[in-house]
Amino acid sequence: MANVLDLRRRIRSVKNTRQITKAMKMVSAAKLRRAQERAMLARPYAQMLTNVLDSLVRRTDLYNDATGDVMHPLLVEREEKNVLVVVVAGDKGFAGAFNSNIIKASQGFIDSRRVLGQNLDVEPIGRKAREFFRKRHPEAAYQKTEEHYDNDLATHYETVRHRIEPVEVTGDHPTLLLKLEFDEVMAMSNSIVDRYTRAEIDSVYVVYNEFKSVISQRLVVEKLLPIRKLGAHEITASEEMTEEQKEAAGRAALSSGVSLDEPEETALEAEARKFGTAEVDYIYDQAPDRLFRHLMPRYVTTQLFHALLESVAAEHAARMTAMDAATSNAGDMIDALSLTMNRVRQAAITKEIIEIVSGAAAL
Amino acid sequence: MAESANNSGLLAVRLVTPDRVLLDATAEAVELPSMSGYLEALYGHAPLLTELGAGEVRLHGGTAGEQKFFVAWGFVEVLPERVTILAETALHPNEIDVAQAKLEMQAGEKLWHEAGDDGSKYDEANAVTRQAEEKIASAEGKSS
Repeated sequence: MANVLDLRRRIRSVKNTRQITKAMKMVSAAKLRRAQERAMLARPYAQMLTNVLDSLVRRTDLYNDATGDVMHPLLVEREEKNVLVVVVAGDKGFAGAFNSNIIKASQGFIDSRRVLGQNLDVEPIGRKAREFFRKRHPEAAYQKTEEHYDNDLATHYETVRHRIEPVEVTGDHPTLLLKLEFDEVMAMSNSIVDRYTRAEIDSVYVVYNEFKSVISQRLVVEKLLPIRKLGAHEITASEEMTEEQKEAAGRAALSSGVSLDEPEETALEAEARKFGTAEVDYIYDQAPDRLFRHLMPRYVTTQLFHALLESVAAEHAARMTAMDAATSNAGDMIDALSLTMNRVRQAAITKEIIEIVSGAAAL
Repeated sequence: MAESANNSGLLAVRLVTPDRVLLDATAEAVELPSMSGYLEALYGHAPLLTELGAGEVRLHGGTAGEQKFFVAWGFVEVLPERVTILAETALHPNEIDVAQAKLEMQAGEKLWHEAGDDGSKYDEANAVTRQAEEKIASAEGKSS
């Protein structure tokens, strides 16, 4: 049996750990609040953009009357042969099952598509996803070709993709989640749109953690391209929180002062909803189909931006919950250890008394 | 739309970016850099929806006072008593990094040279260059 000194040392060490996990919980709670706020602030823009697009759709023909072709490349539906999965995980660990759940869900999605004989590209976001997928799959290889003609007056550039394996990793975004700037997201979405337009990929899915509030989150697989219905999130698969997880998350939120309710719609959002939908005939400065062409890629960007913002909030929430559980575990451990220590000490005292008493009796 | 108009003769102006609502104020007049050139909206303007190019949004009068913002690509909805600007990039002229803008201009020129025979790439390159030019102009405008 361990002696009192050893036990005391262990208790001290667990106490230190508890202090650290407690601090991490509070930090995550603060970061969560900020992330939630950011997601809120980003809403009016997304809402307005969707509205403009929506009203444009009503004014323009999405299909060419003569040929029946779809007017915008992002609306074209092709047979899914090459599928792109954007996996949104986190940069850091200590967030419970957050990263492993995302990776598990993506892997499940990839496997289900492989069975159908489809090729997949994985675009990992967040260090944890990058590490996982880069280890397992090779990077996509591109070749740039140049062709000169008309006595070198004109050059034709082309990017050719050489697929070696059925599952490959594309894109590298090591700094994306650090600050989560719109410009950076746009660069990524432009590259995705470009690949889609080139018909290198036939559909795009995003695997991320949707975040409504601390107790209302779910892991979703959302179809990003082709666009079927504007303003709607097309969820192909989702995984709700279990009651147990909800309870743990609720407890963590309560003890760190994070609200459990979904943030209410602000006056600004209500007004954003009305943007571009007034019952008047607008003067259009540009041709609607031209506006439409410019808007579509931006719409994809806001969808992605939204997914990333929610995922960041969910990551902080997951970390907060995990750290809350760790803190209470440490508390339980300290209690158990203190009990053992007291028992050991008591046993030692009793033993000493017995020795003295039996020594006196022997006299 | 007259029934919902505030009768102050001022426009409610709002500048919204993907990150946040940058400005929420009233003004007497707003100059907007539309794709086809600058236009100015006053109180009672006919409803208009237009695409914004790169340039400066200038506000005059009202609670906004004299304010300028550099914007690059977006939308604007003009209603008789309200102007809502949806801008992808919006910066205060003081926030513009001229050195960075010059780099962007070079990048745009590089894109232009590499565009080959692809028309859309030329458009893209021109857009990048134009944005950088406007950025520099806007940043230097503050000193004069």
